[in-house]
Amino acid sequence: MTQPEIIIKAEDIHKSFGSVEVLKGISLEARKHDVISILGSSGSGKSTFLRCMNFLEIPSSGTVTVLGEKVLVRNNKPQDIRQIEVIRSRLGMVFQQFNLWSHRTVLENVMEGPIQVKRVPKPEAREKAEALLVRVGLEDRMHMYSSQLSGGQQQRVAIARALAMEPDAILFDEPTSALDPELVGEVLKVIKSLAAEGTTMIVVTHEMAFAREVSSEVVFLHEGRIAEQGAPDEMFTHPKTDVFERFIAKVR
Amino acid sequence: MFELLSFGDAGWGDEMLRGLAITVQLAAVTLPVGLILGFLAAYASLSHARPLRFIGYSYTTIMRGLPEILTLFVVYYGVGLLLNALALWWNPESRGIDFSPFAAGVIALGMVFGAFAGEVIRGAFNSLDLGQAEAGRAIGMTKIQIFRRIQLPQLWRFALPGLGNLWINMLKDTALVSVIALNDLMRMTKVAVGVTKQPFTFYLTVCLIYWAMCLASEFVLAWMERRANRGIRRA
Repeated sequence: MTQPEIIIKAEDIHKSFGSVEVLKGISLEARKHDVISILGSSGSGKSTFLRCMNFLEIPSSGTVTVLGEKVLVRNNKPQDIRQIEVIRSRLGMVFQQFNLWSHRTVLENVMEGPIQVKRVPKPEAREKAEALLVRVGLEDRMHMYSSQLSGGQQQRVAIARALAMEPDAILFDEPTSALDPELVGEVLKVIKSLAAEGTTMIVVTHEMAFAREVSSEVVFLHEGRIAEQGAPDEMFTHPKTDVFERFIAKVR
Repeated sequence: MFELLSFGDAGWGDEMLRGLAITVQLAAVTLPVGLILGFLAAYASLSHARPLRFIGYSYTTIMRGLPEILTLFVVYYGVGLLLNALALWWNPESRGIDFSPFAAGVIALGMVFGAFAGEVIRGAFNSLDLGQAEAGRAIGMTKIQIFRRIQLPQLWRFALPGLGNLWINMLKDTALVSVIALNDLMRMTKVAVGVTKQPFTFYLTVCLIYWAMCLASEFVLAWMERRANRGIRRA
């Protein structure tokens, strides 16, 4: 059986902030339909690594290849900002703090990317946005502003906003960490349904049960390196490293 | 009293109305000039390039430090002299350039407005939620799109009260141009007082006119603020 195509390939990513080296050489490959969960305690570099995938952080060294296109970086600057903009438009991102545009309605938030970036005609973008909002269960909130929504609702809008771009993969940066416990479920439910549909995803998360249930692969970062990596069931039942064993014991 | 303010040969109503028109024109032309200078000043002082930052800060500190009337004199006489010198250098036959008090007023008031507006805009920019701009980047928007679609509309929210203050200040400061012989509302009033020897009537009238302009501005500003604050939860 031939393997699905590689969507994102990161090779030997290093990242330093000043004299602090946060990432010390991380490589990862996400193929189509993969759901990769990145775990790790705070400060392990997991969010930084995720942000290197769409160049919200510029890796200090190493290469990122998205859909076969190698991103060129020189002197900590992208060589071709247009290339990065195109790559970003093909990788959705969902943030911990939702980051909805507060001066626009829910519907406008979801329409903005397709209209501005993909130049989709407005009626088409609107129709699609409405369908997506139905999908995340927010059809009755379309004309509200983010300040009128709960955290869980905001995050579902943010997911719809990412989906509206029809991305090749979605990066989730701790999508439930800012939510009240009772709102986590509704967001995870949406992410799970995406996984079930075969959406390619890289998810930085603290939700162990979710990681175990949904992921095709789990990556555990420790002090800027991959400490352990593999199939979720195997990893959680037979942790190979002390650090991962201690980590799952702690969060459980 | 009403005779004095009537229109026609007997009264000063039409003269003052013409003065009012000049005042409003001056303020209306100064506003965009000042706003553009304000954005440039804010851009310069927020820039990562040291020389640009230096220019931004120098402009702001000089303009804020000078009494406005001095700025007006420096611009009117200084720039006038400079233009004449340039004109003569270019063509020794020329009779020099007429530097109008109106242009001097726009430049001087615009430069002062710009310096203060620059600080207001800089403060507003620093209050913006970085995550929202990042969401724009993550979706593939260009820097310009992010500025235009996300940052600028939210900038108003923070900058409007401050800019509104500056606008009203500037509207009143237009009275300063009467000293360089621009026939604005203030100067026409002074002329009327000089001729009729009725200072109380005319100064009271002109007070009411300035105040009415401020009141009208406040209404417009309140409306603009309501618009800019759409989507903001009011505590």
